[in-house]
Amino acid sequence: MEHSEMEFIAEKQKVKIVPNFSMSKIYFISGEVGPFQPGLPTEVPFWLAISLRQRQKCVIHPPDWLTIERLEEIKEAETTTELFTPLPNTHFREMCQLLLTHAKPNIQNADAVRTLVKDIWDIRAAKLRSSSDKFIRVQAGHARIDNLTLMEINIARPFLLASLDHLHTLRTSKQFTKKTRNKEY
Amino acid sequence: MDDTLDISGVSEEGEEQITSEQVFQQLEEIWVNERLSPNLMLCRTDITECILEQMQEMEENIARAKKTDLKVSLHQLELDRIRYVLSSYLRCRLEKIEKHAAYLIKKESSDGPSVSRLSPEEFMFAKELTSGVTSHLTASALKHMPKNLQTLNLEDSGKVPNLDHYVFLRVNKAEEGIIVDCETDVQNEDKIDLEVDAQHIMRYKLIENLVENQTVSLI
Repeated sequence: MEHSEMEFIAEKQKVKIVPNFSMSKIYFISGEVGPFQPGLPTEVPFWLAISLRQRQKCVIHPPDWLTIERLEEIKEAETTTELFTPLPNTHFREMCQLLLTHAKPNIQNADAVRTLVKDIWDIRAAKLRSSSDKFIRVQAGHARIDNLTLMEINIARPFLLASLDHLHTLRTSKQFTKKTRNKEY
Repeated sequence: MDDTLDISGVSEEGEEQITSEQVFQQLEEIWVNERLSPNLMLCRTDITECILEQMQEMEENIARAKKTDLKVSLHQLELDRIRYVLSSYLRCRLEKIEKHAAYLIKKESSDGPSVSRLSPEEFMFAKELTSGVTSHLTASALKHMPKNLQTLNLEDSGKVPNLDHYVFLRVNKAEEGIIVDCETDVQNEDKIDLEVDAQHIMRYKLIENLVENQTVSLI
């Protein structure tokens, strides 16, 4: 899938906003939202938060994991272990990107946060490359990939799945020729 | 046609009350599955019809309301998002039907009436497409060939979906003893258990049924 589609899917996640207007509940097809009172925080889907933010109608509050301290911890954990660590959100990259674009004034030390997110992403990308390589080398037919985020899966998809498909084709045709040869003799 | 009427009848009686929120969640689910699966998934007109109905109702409400209202423009925004998901889903199905038309028509008759992958409209489309391709190939090339080379069988020569395609998946409901073939040696079959929320890579063929009954979701 396209990265923009992954972002679209991520936008259904809930985020906390503080509105500056009052409005009764909205009954959307995809669920109800509100009511809105000025100054009272409420949870809304991200796409709604972005739209309200663009109309200057609310302030988006970043989730509590988007702080320097928490991200430092994640980075530390990610560097010290060989495996992937669980991230606070399966849409980690997309959420960070959206938050840094639309809620930048509300994030403390936004630039440092951006750098940390990038660092974490780079460390994981390197792991992703080496573990895909290992997976292909050992010729396994199955793998468990619990802590990978959706964007990482989406990035690995084209090359990893294509190579697995090719290997499978090669293996099955090899077995096929072996079998037929056995029959002949 | 009878099928769709039956289904909407059941939901109106409310045997199992489903909110529009749940229907939309299901639509998103089948959308992503359809995008990532190598073959055409079962036809879910129950979901698409229901969403279309909801959207129409909402459109009528919007038409009646004042254009300047903030609420109205937010509803419009949501509607556009849902329409995007729905059309992307249907477009994806059409692409697959175009690719595997002859195969799907054959499968539709061999599967029997209980399972249907193609909606009546999609079936028509597949039929027209194959007959169009056949008549084009006949008119432009085959009729100039020697008599014994003029037979054309799209069912045998057409493309078939690769069910051995690898996919990423996430487990929704626990399931035990899924066979994953240990690829280095055909004789040894490996069994694994699927735990809730675990993510795996494996071949689509092994879990095809589990995707259809929503035990696992493609990611």
